This record gives sequence, structure tokens and C-alpha cells, in this order.
Amino acid sequence: MSTSISLSSEPKHTVAELEDLAYELREKLLYLCGTYEGAVHIGGDLSLADILTALYHYGLNIDPSDIANPNRDRFVLSKGHAAVCMYISMAMRGFFDFDEIVATYGQLGSAYGMHPCKVQLRGVEASTGSLGHGLPIAVGMAKSARQKGETHRVFCVLGDGETGEGSIWEAAMAARSSELGNLIAFVDRNHQLMTGFTEDRVVLEPYLGKWASFGWNTVSVDGHNMKDLVSIIDNLPSYDSTRPTVVICETVKGKGVDFMERNIAWHAGSLGAADLERAMAALESTRKVVSA
Amino acid sequence: MPVTFTFGEWLSARSVIGSTLAELGGEYDNLWTITPEIGATLGEFRALYPDRFLDVGIAEQVSIGVAAGLAYEGNIPVVSGMLPFLSMRALEQIRSDVCYPNLPVKIIGTHGGLVGNGGSTHYAVEDLALMCALTNMTVTSIADPLMAGDILRQSMKMSGPIYIRLGVGKSDMVLYEPGQHDIQIGKGIVARDGYDATIFTHGTTVAQALEAAETLGALGHSIRVIDMFTLKPIDADLIERCAKETGGRFVVLEDHLAYGGLASRVADVLADRNIHLTAFERLGIPQVYAGFGGDEELRDKYGYGLTSTISAVMRALAAK
Repeated sequence: MSTSISLSSEPKHTVAELEDLAYELREKLLYLCGTYEGAVHIGGDLSLADILTALYHYGLNIDPSDIANPNRDRFVLSKGHAAVCMYISMAMRGFFDFDEIVATYGQLGSAYGMHPCKVQLRGVEASTGSLGHGLPIAVGMAKSARQKGETHRVFCVLGDGETGEGSIWEAAMAARSSELGNLIAFVDRNHQLMTGFTEDRVVLEPYLGKWASFGWNTVSVDGHNMKDLVSIIDNLPSYDSTRPTVVICETVKGKGVDFMERNIAWHAGSLGAADLERAMAALESTRKVVSA
Repeated sequence: MPVTFTFGEWLSARSVIGSTLAELGGEYDNLWTITPEIGATLGEFRALYPDRFLDVGIAEQVSIGVAAGLAYEGNIPVVSGMLPFLSMRALEQIRSDVCYPNLPVKIIGTHGGLVGNGGSTHYAVEDLALMCALTNMTVTSIADPLMAGDILRQSMKMSGPIYIRLGVGKSDMVLYEPGQHDIQIGKGIVARDGYDATIFTHGTTVAQALEAAETLGALGHSIRVIDMFTLKPIDADLIERCAKETGGRFVVLEDHLAYGGLASRVADVLADRNIHLTAFERLGIPQVYAGFGGDEELRDKYGYGLTSTISAVMRALAAK
């Protein structure tokens, strides 16, 4: 068992602080969705919000002032359509300026768009968007780290729907074959595709068993329970272990805004001023429930 | 399972690639070789640098995706495989994971054209059209096996991706004396000089073009043969010069679909530069899914064999 080289530019947060950060992330997501005239993939952003908060503010060993540090953990957003959730998480972590994201998102010449582009936006690790592509790239990064004797991990966030792509399972086999214990996948298992529910289209269950049968360490977690997410991050296998790990995060698409939750209409959309107010009020009510 | 029944025929061509990669592996400690289970050529590299070799099994998509991930980390990945599968099964990975971020991934493979007798699943006949369409991609098609090693070596200095197409069978004959030509990516080779007409070609059909020119030479015709081994970026200046110097009589010959490959690249230059020709003949694969047969038999059957090439040049010479 070896330890990674800490870049620690941010102290480890408590679970309560992380919950506050996740709440702030959701507020900011809704704000962007309310101010940008085009559609935002708000449903899958909200399902991912707690996971990315746990990663960017707790799990990832990164330093926004030293983005090319070879010892940094790598992060690949395989579900690239949740780019705004990543941009805002990174902004809250100190990589970008949230106001600039809001002011320029989707505009001509902006580095912030629907799917992340490494060439245009420094700090993003890989250009993604087409589903099924991120995990193979993450495998390449993890393989490189192994060969160079580097001690960081490679984290990859997948949507459950995108695991319908065969390339994900090619990558799953490659990662197992190369014994990449430095590769950690988080699947945002929100049970929804763009136009319906996963199990009505392509049966993914037994989902954890699928990954287990590919030779991965598997763990299932409530993807909205910060305490459990933190516990899983604390107990990840060492980077020099021999099996990749997948964390199946059971989530709710649209989480935090009652009229969006599990609602097919909110895969992607735009909030007008009135709806933004309604969404913020809905989010606020969840906070009262939590703190009660 | 990819066919291996033609392996002996192209062993020598691939051995140049294999030994060049083994050499380069010593010079560049960040050079990787990756293969979707077509790794025989990579045996020497694998033996020397096992920690920089990866066989992902029969999985073209992940072979390119992994190469992209390696390249993001500062490595130089060479993906070696069979082109019908790399160029089509993994097309989107090549486009979005490699070309979009402009990563220095090299894709090198065999079975470009109607070669190997595998049938239409195993002939790469659309690959150059597909690869030329990709922004940031450099596209090459190599006739001479020694030259394949040169191109691979030159490509080490490139910051973006390159596609290197090889054939099989007769095309692995050595066409050029080492040092005879200044071979540079992006520059066509005057494989034979002449002033009555020009044959533009690449890859497996260069030898055939030279044979046609030799035959026509014996009849008193002076035929230039251009080995346009780089399809992208195309050597537009050479095309313009040949139009002026060989009477505006062009024949384009290729082991690829007649529309979408080199002939189309040449025609684009002619249109863009407002160059008017006396004759333009294109010889290549028609819109068919070809069946089985020897390489030469298939070229004859589909109208771009030696006899057809000579006839096409004669037509060009006769044009007014």
C-alpha cells in the first residue's frame, strides 16, 4: 500500500460542508438554466451534483493553481453532456470564474459549451460528448500512469444510459486485463435515458453484477448521500491495487427540484424567469427538510 | 477473427514497420504500440518494451480510445491493425477522440484496397475518403516497404495524427533505391519522369503505374508517374506543375473507390486553381462490393488493372 503525493490546496471538508457545496452547485446550475436561452442538460446535472461535489471538493487530489502537475488525479467526464455540472464544480473549486461561465456559456467564442473541449478550456482533461468514449480514454490515462510509475488515480464519471455503448464494455475488459486498480469509475445510475427509463429500453440490471462479472470491484451507494459518498472515497483501493473499481451511484434525475425529478421532460431544458423562481423554491424546500 | 491467410505475403512489408518501431522505441521512451489483436508485426517491440505494448484483443474502438488517453499523457501511441476495421469500426473514436483534440496518434495498418482475398468485409476501399474528411488528420498510402519505415520515422515529429495505409502482396516490392528520392510527408514523388501525360497513384498501384509507363515508353510515349503517397495535405503545386509539363493529360489510378480518394483530391485542386486539362481519366474501384480473387485479378475485373491503365493513358494521349 502506497500513498499518493498530496497537492492539498484545499482542506478536507466535512460532510456538512460538502452538502452545502452541493446545494450551492444546484443553485448555480438552476441559475444558469434560467439565464441561458438554450437548453441545459439539467436533469443529468442535478443527478450528478452530489457525486461531483464529493469528487471535486473531497476526492480528487488536484490544485487549480497547478493544473498540469503530473501527480494530480485525472478526471474524465464520460457523460459529457453534464459539462455545466463539471464547469461549475471546477469554478467552485477555483479553476474558473462562475460569473464568466454564466456570461459566456454557449456564446460564440466561449470555451464553455454543451460538451467539454480540452483544447478550448484548460483544466479539462479530455474532450468528450459522444457517449461511450470517456472510459476508454481514462483507461489509456491509467495505463500511462502505471507505466510511468505515477501514483495518482484516474476518475471517470459515466451515465448509466451510456453504458449501452459497447465501447464501455471493451474498456471495462481492457481495464481488468491491464489490472488498473488506479482507475475509478462512478456511474450516475439515474435510471433514465433522454426519452425514457433505462429498464424499458435496454435492461441494465443486474447492473452491479454486470460490472462484477467483468472483474471490477463493485460498490453501490446512494448517490445523494454525501456521508456514504465520502466513506466510499475514503475506502477506495490503493492506486497500486490490481482491480479497477466502479461505484454505482443510485440517483434521481432532476434531484432537488420536485417537478424535474424523474420527469422525462427535464432531460434537458431551459427555465424561464417564473420557472427559475419555482425551481429555486423547490430546491430551498429540500434544504429545509434536510436540516429539520 | 481477422483473416491471417495472407500473412506470409505481407510479412516483409510489415517487418520493416516492426523493426522501425523497435528502433524508435529505443529512441523515444514515450512511444507505445497498441493493437486490436493484429500484433505479429509488433513482436520485436513487445519483446523490447513490454510495458509500452498493449494488445486490447478484438476491440478497435478501445484501441483508439486508449491511444487517445495515452496521448493526453504525453505519450506517442502507434495503433497497428487492419484498416477496414480501424477506419470504420473506430472511425468516430479517430474523429472525436484523436482528431478533435489533435493528438499525436499514429494509425498504421494493412489491407488498403482489394488485397488479401478476404472479401469485402476485409477490403478497406473507403478509408482514404473517410480519413481525408477528418480535420487535423494527415493521410498517407505507402507503396514501398522501406518508405513505410521512413514515413513512420518522419511522423514522430508531428504534433497531430497520421494515417498510414499499407497494402499486401506485390506492393511490398522495393520501388525506390534508398536516397534516390527526397521523401517528405506532403510532397509527391516523381517516381518516373515523362512529358506526355501523368499517372497519379499511391500505394499498391504504384508498381503497376510504373509498369504501364515502361510499356508505353517502349511505344515512344513519355509518361510521368507521381507517387502521391500523401493524400492530405495534397501536393497541389506538383499537380499544377504536372498539368503544365505533361500536356494537361492526367490519369489517376488507385486501389480505392474511384470517387472519394486521390482522384477526388486531384480534381479538387484542379477546380480550386482553375486548371483546365485536356484529359482526366480516373481508375479505381467502382461502386461494388468486390468478391474474391487475387489482387491482380480483382484489379483487372474492376477496370483498374495494368491493361486498363495502359488503355486509359492511351485515351488521355489521344484526347484533343
